[in-house]
Amino acid sequence: MSNSNSIKTLLIVDDSRVSRMMIRTFVLAKHPNWIIIEAVSGNEAVEIVDRDTPNYCTMDINMPGLLGTDAAEQILAKYPGIRVAIFSGNIQESHQTRAAALGAQFVAKPVTEKTVAQALAYFESAK
Amino acid sequence: MNPLSEIHIDALTEVFNIGAGRAASSLSEIVGDEVILSVPSLQLVNSSEINAQMLSLNSPRLGAVKQQFSGPFNAEAMLLFTEERALEIVHDMMGSHVSIEELAEYEQEAMCELGNIILNACLSAMADILGLVLESSLPQYRVDLSDAILKQIIEEANQPLMLVLHIDLAIEKRHSQGYLAFLLSSTSLEELLVHIDRFLGNI
Amino acid sequence: MNQHTATSSIPVDINPLSELIWDAINQGLILIDNNGLVVMWNKWIAKHSGIPPEFAIGHSLESLFPDGLSAAFKTALKNALSHKLPIVLSNALHRSPLPLFSVPVTKGDQPRLQQSTALTPIIDETGKHFCLIQITDATTSVKRERVLRSHSEQLSIEATTDGLTSCFNRRFFDDRFKAEFARAQRQSTPLSLIMLDIDFFKDYNDNYGHPAGDKALISVVNALKTQLNRATDVVTRYGGEEFAIILPGCAAEGSLSVAEKLRMAVIDLNIPHLFSKANKVLTISIGITTYMADTPCSASCLLDTADIALYRAKKDGRNCVRQLITPHCRKTGPNDSQQPRLTVCMT
Repeated sequence: MSNSNSIKTLLIVDDSRVSRMMIRTFVLAKHPNWIIIEAVSGNEAVEIVDRDTPNYCTMDINMPGLLGTDAAEQILAKYPGIRVAIFSGNIQESHQTRAAALGAQFVAKPVTEKTVAQALAYFESAK
Repeated sequence: MNPLSEIHIDALTEVFNIGAGRAASSLSEIVGDEVILSVPSLQLVNSSEINAQMLSLNSPRLGAVKQQFSGPFNAEAMLLFTEERALEIVHDMMGSHVSIEELAEYEQEAMCELGNIILNACLSAMADILGLVLESSLPQYRVDLSDAILKQIIEEANQPLMLVLHIDLAIEKRHSQGYLAFLLSSTSLEELLVHIDRFLGNI
Repeated sequence: MNQHTATSSIPVDINPLSELIWDAINQGLILIDNNGLVVMWNKWIAKHSGIPPEFAIGHSLESLFPDGLSAAFKTALKNALSHKLPIVLSNALHRSPLPLFSVPVTKGDQPRLQQSTALTPIIDETGKHFCLIQITDATTSVKRERVLRSHSEQLSIEATTDGLTSCFNRRFFDDRFKAEFARAQRQSTPLSLIMLDIDFFKDYNDNYGHPAGDKALISVVNALKTQLNRATDVVTRYGGEEFAIILPGCAAEGSLSVAEKLRMAVIDLNIPHLFSKANKVLTISIGITTYMADTPCSASCLLDTADIALYRAKKDGRNCVRQLITPHCRKTGPNDSQQPRLTVCMT
């Protein structure tokens, strides 16, 4: 469990302020020392990743501009070491399949303690 | 004037985003194809301001699916489509073997079901996220001249405020605009805001 | 049925009259408890499923119809029980969710009954949740709806459509114009009106014959239709060779460019008209006017102004567009001293 003590950086990508706030709160409750960065669009996420290279990323799908799945594809192509959880309310089979194909984990919204725990479990299973 | 703060709008938009996602999932199972969704946009308007132009529903005829729901607050949820779009969606849902003439015959029922899927998805998302128990009536569908539909909405609603949500949904790359309108009395709106605040407070 | 409810794991109180009504209702009724087990099963459903209530009660639908339930029905039932929201399964999208048949039930030998299904959550006074499944035989309603619908649509189409050109008729125009004008006033939006006339059409008919004239009319209407993109902009036959087009929300400038496109579209048809004094091919003259928001102009004034504009177009040699703006025309109409102002001329 040394993992939970080490400092990690998480990028939260979501156009909804409420969703970002909730993900941040649930994550910090478990890992108070993590560094959290936020992006409001797929385009911004791609820029931030180049600059700050986080360890983990949660990614919404339906956002203005670049689709989350497309942003995740770009990010993972460049930085395969980043663990991405596609965190979306768009639960269609096609998106879940796409997430899997990209090498990302699909987590269905709403953002709750339980769903955030699913994303965290995925992040920490990757060593 | 507007009792909704930015954070309220954000929270409600997210509720409907998740609702729309659930609806898209059910619809894509029926049509066997991906349903493309826009980010829903939300506004609170005076019901007297509602008109076809404001909703950019430029069609002589509109179809409306309606469900009354009750719980901690009472409201009427309604989904509006132009008739052409409604028929196109029904066509996509039923498959291309059905002729256009036959379609009209199934429109009533199929639109009730389509509206039911979308409205239930939104209502269940709202109930889940805000921790509410909502009850609802069965859906009703009406298709009429746009003016008649909108006039009836305004008259029957007898509610000063209306939460209007705009979702674009496209099946097989076909663009369909649908409007979801929630008619809320001011006391119901206050009650809804109490629940959103409670939910935000829990974060 | 009392002994059945008594044997059921969940006692349900029904008074005898309610039970008689439940059985007398001419549609299928099934009540399911929160665990998915049948609590009530009416006569109609027993008759069409071939399963008597004593076998059904206390069992799940899946066990009663091992491979007869559609996937959509199973999902709907699950959702109705978990979200507690009512669900409809239309006959259009789900022909027969349950294996039900006409009487006598001879499974396998006959197609399933066409069904319309609704699932409604019910909560009793003790807070227990149930789901009521209502099934209607859609076979007859499907047929009836088809007949009624085609009749009524035929009637309403005939009442508002011009038989020859199949565009809308004068009656449709009168209703629509009144409604659109009222809306423009109410919403303070502009409204343009186009009146157009085929040039020297009488000479065309006289020289080429009426069948050719009819054909030309149809071609003109189709050409006009191709230039109108919005669903709200429709061509109406105002009379003889005169047509009117209402352009809701369209200001003066927009209507002028639409009119010019219409004029060109008719020229492009290239229908020879050697007896026209305007051109060698069939042409149209167009008059347009626009209602400007918040000006004291009535519907009849707007109509008269469009007529005057059309008259000007004809007087100016035909095959052209003339536009009149109504500055302050009063409800008394165009005979008022103040004449509409001619603003734009183009050929």
